[in-house]
Amino acid sequence: MLPRSQPTHVGVILILALRNLRRQLRRSILTASAMVIGGWLLLFSFSLGDGMHETWIDSGVRMSGGHVTVERPEYRLSRKIEDRLPADVRSATERALESPEISAQVVAQSARLTITGLASSPAGARPAQVIAVDPLAEAPFSMFDDQVIEGRYLEPDDRLAAYVGIGLVESLDLRLGSRFVVQAQDAAQDISGQLLRVVGIFQSGMPEADQSVIHIPFQTGGDWLGSDRDVTNVGVVLADSAMVAAVATHLERVLAEPIARGDASVLKWRESNPALYAAVAIDDFGNYLIYGILFTIIGFGIVNTVLMSVLHRHREFGVLQALGLTPGQTGVIVLVEGLTLTAVSGVIGVSLGLLTTWYFFGDGIDFSTLIGEDMTFSGVVIDPVVVPMFRVSRVIQILAFIFVMGAAASAYPARRAATIDTAEAMKFER
Amino acid sequence: MTDTYSAAVRTNGLWKVFQQEAEEVTAVRDVSLTIDRGEFTALAGPSGSGKTTLLNVIGGLTRPTRGDVLVAGREVSAMSNQELARLRLDEVGFIFQAYNLLPVLTAMENAEFPMLLQGIGAEERQARVRALFERTGMSGLEDRRPGKLSGGQQQRVAVIRAVASKPALVLADEPTANLDSASSEALLDMMSELNRDLGVTFVFATHDGHVMERSRRVVQMVDGSIDADEIRT
Repeated sequence: MLPRSQPTHVGVILILALRNLRRQLRRSILTASAMVIGGWLLLFSFSLGDGMHETWIDSGVRMSGGHVTVERPEYRLSRKIEDRLPADVRSATERALESPEISAQVVAQSARLTITGLASSPAGARPAQVIAVDPLAEAPFSMFDDQVIEGRYLEPDDRLAAYVGIGLVESLDLRLGSRFVVQAQDAAQDISGQLLRVVGIFQSGMPEADQSVIHIPFQTGGDWLGSDRDVTNVGVVLADSAMVAAVATHLERVLAEPIARGDASVLKWRESNPALYAAVAIDDFGNYLIYGILFTIIGFGIVNTVLMSVLHRHREFGVLQALGLTPGQTGVIVLVEGLTLTAVSGVIGVSLGLLTTWYFFGDGIDFSTLIGEDMTFSGVVIDPVVVPMFRVSRVIQILAFIFVMGAAASAYPARRAATIDTAEAMKFER
Repeated sequence: MTDTYSAAVRTNGLWKVFQQEAEEVTAVRDVSLTIDRGEFTALAGPSGSGKTTLLNVIGGLTRPTRGDVLVAGREVSAMSNQELARLRLDEVGFIFQAYNLLPVLTAMENAEFPMLLQGIGAEERQARVRALFERTGMSGLEDRRPGKLSGGQQQRVAVIRAVASKPALVLADEPTANLDSASSEALLDMMSELNRDLGVTFVFATHDGHVMERSRRVVQMVDGSIDADEIRT
């Protein structure tokens, strides 16, 4: 005759597990404390790291082509005007960015004609990156207008105006109102020159930009280079870098035809700014490594707590099996103890991390005494004030990590409890 | 003659051999034994005579090396771990020398535990346990944890736990060994009454002469074998 199936005894297992944790209260609290501190540090430091990376990314993409940029595939390497976007692709891109699916995420967009040329004055000549822009669209995109130190940013009615970096101004011995000439290859592949007048001087804090960038009105650029309304790229700045994939996918879908015929490509910031991506990835890896080590140590603490508890209760597990629990159910009691310990302490730790993150949401943390105020790398100006960032996905990720670690740390003690020899366990002396 | 199904336990040609390093130690040697329902039987013998091992094999805590064991008509030898667990839950009650109550449960919860595993409702569990507490003079101690009970009281709770789920037999390994003579006497009285009034089958492993005196059948074991089997009137 087959025996009746064994009930799972969920309630019994839970009661025993919880009471055993309470029975070893001091040991449970000590282990839980390590987990609480670990969860707290993990969440807060990742919130801080995410906030810092978001600032880097925001700064980096604004100084370059945006979170997402649309350009011809050849343009990335050639930087030549003949590799500009056709007018219909520019229009399609701008229409796509206004679609309800993604428009809420778009903070700014700018269609630019960016070329490399030579700026010259009576004092000499310097290579320059000339960017023809619509001033109203560009101002919220690159925020170069905020970095003015003399004069003003471009205005819609400007014609021959130039907004020039401080480094270039000094190299060419220019000042506000000075005239200078830029020369570059035009749409007809001839060398063409344009006279400009300095209306504003900026200092971005990034030597590369300050020594080469010149903003000119879009109309002036089109007339000078014979490119009409064509642009070399359309850049988009988003509210959150986490939305990059969704916006890029939408643009790829809308621009499927020009992409297929080789007239356009959609680049995410990771592709258009690989150095910045590498910096973020390396910093993330460092964090993962440090917290991996920290949690491995905490994990051993949990193994130790649960295993010691198992070893001290050898006879008790024998009794439970003698009374009718299966070996598997005995192991589950130990697993539930470990999981309960990690889940409760993990949730408390993450909650404390959230509270700390929330506390610093407003003003952030000022690291200027550590890193100074003018640190730059890879086209990014590092803001010494870091504001932590809250992401639901990060909280879920951290909770899942803590829970999986708790399960892994409890697995061995659970196995030990499940594989005891019941009759031998009874001989165990207290 | 006792048939297989009226017997609480039947063993036939039972052996249990332990491997200790390179040496084989025979703890139970060719034991054939039938214990009917309602018996009050002692397995007697000196330390190392195999009585605890025989109890463990009957209770499904240890598998026999060879031979057959039937508990309440069910063949134990070939059962899986799950089937053995179910057999212990439904058919066997255990009483241990060291009481072995679960320290995190109260006396009442300890006594209810096997019935909780069996899925018996709270009302019936509590009714059965309260009746046994009252019958054994343990009323008022239901909410105490084992650490707050004397040895004799703990062993009474262990007996209640063993019989409350109405198993086919109760296996008791040296149940009086840790008790003083008064507690020991009280415990034997309690088990005798449960045997007489409720028909609970008790099998003791003991070398306590007093337990043997109170038993109606004494199976003497020497070196793993049955040396004598005496039924007292």
